[in-house]
Amino acid sequence: MKFRKYFGLRLVTWALTILIGVTFIFFIPRMFPTDPVENMIGQIQNRSGQMDPTEMAALRRSLRLQFGLEGSLWEQYVNYLQKGLLRFDFGPSLMSFPTPAGEIIGTYLPYTLLLSLTSTLLAWVVGNIIGLLAGFRKDKRSSKVLEAIAICIYPIPYFLVALILQIVFAFILGWFPLQSTINSMGGLGAYLSSLLRASALPAASLLLVGTGWWIISMKSLSAATAEEDFVQYARFRGLSEGRIGTGYVMRNSILTQITALAMSLGGAFNGAIMTEIIFSYPGVGTLIQKAILQSDYNMILGCITISIVAIATATLIADLIYPFIDPRIRYS
Amino acid sequence: MKKFWRNANGRLKTGLIMTAIFLFIGFVIYYIPHVNPFFQNTYGRKLPPSGTHPLGTTSLGQDVMWLLIEAIHNSLTIGLIVATIGTVVGVLVGLVAGFSGGLTDRALMVVTDTFVVIPSLPILVLMTALMRGNSTVVLLALVLAMFAWAWPSRQIRSMALSMKERDFIQTAWFSGEGTMQVVVTEILPYALTWSLSNFMNATLSAIASESSLAVLGLSPGNLLSLGNMIQWARDRNAIFARQWYWIGSPIVATVLLFIGLFLLITGYNDYLQMKRGR
Amino acid sequence: MRKLVSLLLVLAMMLGVSAAFAAETTIVGTPRNETLIVETQIPTDTPGQFNSYMQGTSMGFGIHQLMSAMMWEMDTIKGEQFGEVAEGMPESNADFTEHIVKIRKGIKWSDGVDLTAKDVVFTMNMIRDTKGINASAYYNVVFKSIELVDDYTVKIVTNEPFPRLALRFGVTIWGNDLRIVPEHIYSKLDDVTTFKDSAPVVAGPYTVKAYDELGVWVLYERREDWQNSTVGVVTGKMPQAKYVLFKALGDDSTRQMLMISNQVDIMVEVTPEVLEVMKEQNPNIAAWYKDFPYATSDDPCSKGISFMMGKAPYNNKDFRWAISFALNFDETTMDIFDGVGRASALPILTATTAMQELYLKPLKEYMANLEIDLGDGTKAKAYDMDYAKRIGDKLRAEGRDIPTDEAALEDMFGIACYAYNPEAAEKLLVKAGLEKKDGKWFFEGQPFKINMSYLANTEHQAGRGLISAYNQLLKFGLDCNLVSESSATWDSNAALGNYEIGGYWPTGGITKDLYSVINGYDADLIVPIGERGSGQASRWNNERATEIIHELAKISPEDPKSYELGMEFVKVAIEDIPFIGFHSGVKFVPTNTTYWTNYPSAENAYNGPWWWWSCFKYITTEISPVSK
Repeated sequence: MKFRKYFGLRLVTWALTILIGVTFIFFIPRMFPTDPVENMIGQIQNRSGQMDPTEMAALRRSLRLQFGLEGSLWEQYVNYLQKGLLRFDFGPSLMSFPTPAGEIIGTYLPYTLLLSLTSTLLAWVVGNIIGLLAGFRKDKRSSKVLEAIAICIYPIPYFLVALILQIVFAFILGWFPLQSTINSMGGLGAYLSSLLRASALPAASLLLVGTGWWIISMKSLSAATAEEDFVQYARFRGLSEGRIGTGYVMRNSILTQITALAMSLGGAFNGAIMTEIIFSYPGVGTLIQKAILQSDYNMILGCITISIVAIATATLIADLIYPFIDPRIRYS
Repeated sequence: MKKFWRNANGRLKTGLIMTAIFLFIGFVIYYIPHVNPFFQNTYGRKLPPSGTHPLGTTSLGQDVMWLLIEAIHNSLTIGLIVATIGTVVGVLVGLVAGFSGGLTDRALMVVTDTFVVIPSLPILVLMTALMRGNSTVVLLALVLAMFAWAWPSRQIRSMALSMKERDFIQTAWFSGEGTMQVVVTEILPYALTWSLSNFMNATLSAIASESSLAVLGLSPGNLLSLGNMIQWARDRNAIFARQWYWIGSPIVATVLLFIGLFLLITGYNDYLQMKRGR
Repeated sequence: MRKLVSLLLVLAMMLGVSAAFAAETTIVGTPRNETLIVETQIPTDTPGQFNSYMQGTSMGFGIHQLMSAMMWEMDTIKGEQFGEVAEGMPESNADFTEHIVKIRKGIKWSDGVDLTAKDVVFTMNMIRDTKGINASAYYNVVFKSIELVDDYTVKIVTNEPFPRLALRFGVTIWGNDLRIVPEHIYSKLDDVTTFKDSAPVVAGPYTVKAYDELGVWVLYERREDWQNSTVGVVTGKMPQAKYVLFKALGDDSTRQMLMISNQVDIMVEVTPEVLEVMKEQNPNIAAWYKDFPYATSDDPCSKGISFMMGKAPYNNKDFRWAISFALNFDETTMDIFDGVGRASALPILTATTAMQELYLKPLKEYMANLEIDLGDGTKAKAYDMDYAKRIGDKLRAEGRDIPTDEAALEDMFGIACYAYNPEAAEKLLVKAGLEKKDGKWFFEGQPFKINMSYLANTEHQAGRGLISAYNQLLKFGLDCNLVSESSATWDSNAALGNYEIGGYWPTGGITKDLYSVINGYDADLIVPIGERGSGQASRWNNERATEIIHELAKISPEDPKSYELGMEFVKVAIEDIPFIGFHSGVKFVPTNTTYWTNYPSAENAYNGPWWWWSCFKYITTEISPVSK
């Protein structure tokens, strides 16, 4: 019963989070004096020269309708909630008109998910293992060195790490492709190998920075736990250090880290965007950048809506798993 | 002060010294009269480091050292504005949520969680792309601050929840002090110590966000920040043309500044923990 | 830990080996030495979409360079058009309302069907009758009827006299929106605007072999029957590369690394800083000129600063001349491309080689003598005729190899630049109604501040020019604000007149007849600030210029009067200075001779280096493999 109530509440929060997020996203671009219709007409004019005034008015009207900009702001908003949020139908991409924005996003989303999820999870696992070791044996020389390295890598801006990796491993050593080109035509084998090669460096740069943070936080957590009474007690009981490490220190510190993981997903997405742009990796990040530069409203809205939904859902899942790992939790 | 220094751990000391140096550069040395480093063709182009130009000049005839000093100043300013707004708003929201409880708490926390969860970069990119024509340092800082308050407010709320039960608060309450008074006299000082590390963290992440935006070419074109300095050098291909002083100095400065702030944060947290432990 | 590291190393080495193994084939598996790799500027969001009449198709992704059939193409060196699908130029009646267009015989679509007048008539009527095609409205205004006379003759009737049929519906710059489609395929469609055409039937020499579902590349293969393609019929020559791979390359650092490591043959455009690094690292990389200045100055869009003349004081020519006098071109040119580039000190018209011969050299005397009245009884020379020699000396002193011959210098640096004269600038500002108090300028009692906007990150030449001007005006004492814009706001702000001084480039100049360059400056097209008109973003209101445009509209481009009127227009514009030109379009267009050679270059100028224009198909017959 308690779990059901917790579950229900958590679901409501999830829905509200998404609603607030997308409302925010819906209204921001409309507060600024740019107009995708005017932009589009500008581009058509640039391409095809002069335009008859009456025809231009007609074109303007029909573009507004097609772009979902007709009607009051409130009507547009309701329309967006109905279509966009419930059916992921964001209308046509304005720059690739009339191809639906949702269709284009659908092509790229898996790549971003693959890149950011795997690297985030991997960074979390690796970072926590190293951090645990370092925290548990915090007086060892090796753990101090590890931590120092982590502290020096973590604050380096993403794009720099990405650029350095690109120059060293792709340009100088030539181990990886300079540009994330994926061979989608040459059969499954070629596809997978090119995908792997293309994702290696972007993932590595995300991993490097991500791991640093988890090492640092896990280390301080486990160091603190290791000082607690019940751990000391376990030592007196003569349990092996290994068992204390996994059984006591890890079990207690990992819970905090699971929450932190859920909270960090938004940040991981930010990192993925930067990385994608630098390696021209075909994902939602590059799509967002292009869409924003061309003021493709529907595409922007689509990309960010989907990312909000994805991240909120991931957080929800993490929160729901949480009680199964920590028996002490009360569903409140 | 002396006592503090004696009790401070190595990280806190290193972090303090590093950060202090940057603050000194950004807010003291910066005020030594100098030619506006933004002006092009003030000096010769691509000069190597020398007595007059310790870090050489750019391909546009600007002095790299003064560019760097001004960039540090502006980046720190942005960081501090963002952190101030973020912390003040965060503390207020967190305290209100924590102490009022009930529906107010729920509502505030949903909003807060939204801002913790939604990815900030695409929204920042969107906003800066739309307003870049009119953006200034302050405006940019305001936009960045939108995402700076949520995390501290979450933290402060949980702190407030635990404090609500503590004896000295209960005592104050029973002795007839109003909620407002309790909050101001008893809780705020406590919350501020708490949020100091948040403050530094917000400074760091604001500077990092600004440089991300700059690298995407979205920071205002006349804002001389660390991020823009890197971007402008990149724009003139300084990396591959091996103009190390020009491209390297803002990068090294950013990394050192981040490491300094980071050491300060973790050192300070350890210090607090140790103090509380006593 | 050690195990993990060694595992990673092994994995990395395996990937490395496979990379080395893959070096002689391209990413798409074609032999590298049979594949010409050409850069395209942005990846497409609509992969597999090759129909030029569906919106969102990226024409520059090789589509119009290799596949489209144009009515008339451009010889970019001579500045003359020639028939591609059309046989020769159109023949018009005396008042230019009826036009007979002959169609070239022998061209076949890639599925073997003959390309005839039917296809042309069908395409033009399709554009006119399909509302969803952008040019439809314009076709309705222009054309009364488009009819088939016989299989190889089309009769076109226009509503008004239309002497420039080929100039408007054939290629002059970049491409044209009239691309002939196969009637036997397109006539069966319900809606042409939603037809993707993923396996297009084309008249050009290449067809689509494969494309990336993520929009990064498209692979084209030469037609087996290339003899029957447009290029085959027009030139009789075979495009030499079996495959052409168009590919988006990413940001500047990635692009140059790809080029240095021979993974690209042709790049669209780079900055001189990038070119220098690439040349240093890879001797096979070159641009239009082998040595300094590397770049061609023949792109017909000059860059400079544009005024929004819909409001005071920008509508005052004295103010505009004052700005011109306040700018030191010697600084500007160093700031933009280290001194490279032909000065194009003209509004609207661009000093390409052809235009320099046709218009600028005859005007030399006039420019040298032109003086501006400063309002206090004195006058100042408008032009600085010594620029070429001076900058030549300066760059030679820096160690560059600069010719001393006057003609060569003029070709490299132009015949003149705007004069730098800060005193004259101050006097003219006063004449224009500004006041100087305590070192600050005031206009109508208010502190005067200029907003200067530029498009960030995409157009280096224009952006750097504007930033340089911003710097110099600040130093001169005018208060300015620098506004960097993304393309999200740039176009809107231009059309709405929402700027003061901008790095826009409303310039041109490729054919002797100037009508297509100048017709947008018709004062009748001006709309109030905040409204979007058609043309005239800068809202230049000049009576004589407008008259000339109206007169030109009625006469044939071949009429000798067209040249006289063009010349007069240039003089009117020079005196009224609606735009301050810095350089003609300066393009650093790198090519890599590791796998392919005989690219067009200064020594071998069979065509311009315009890979992104539709004339690229005529370059493919000349680019030949390096024999190993």
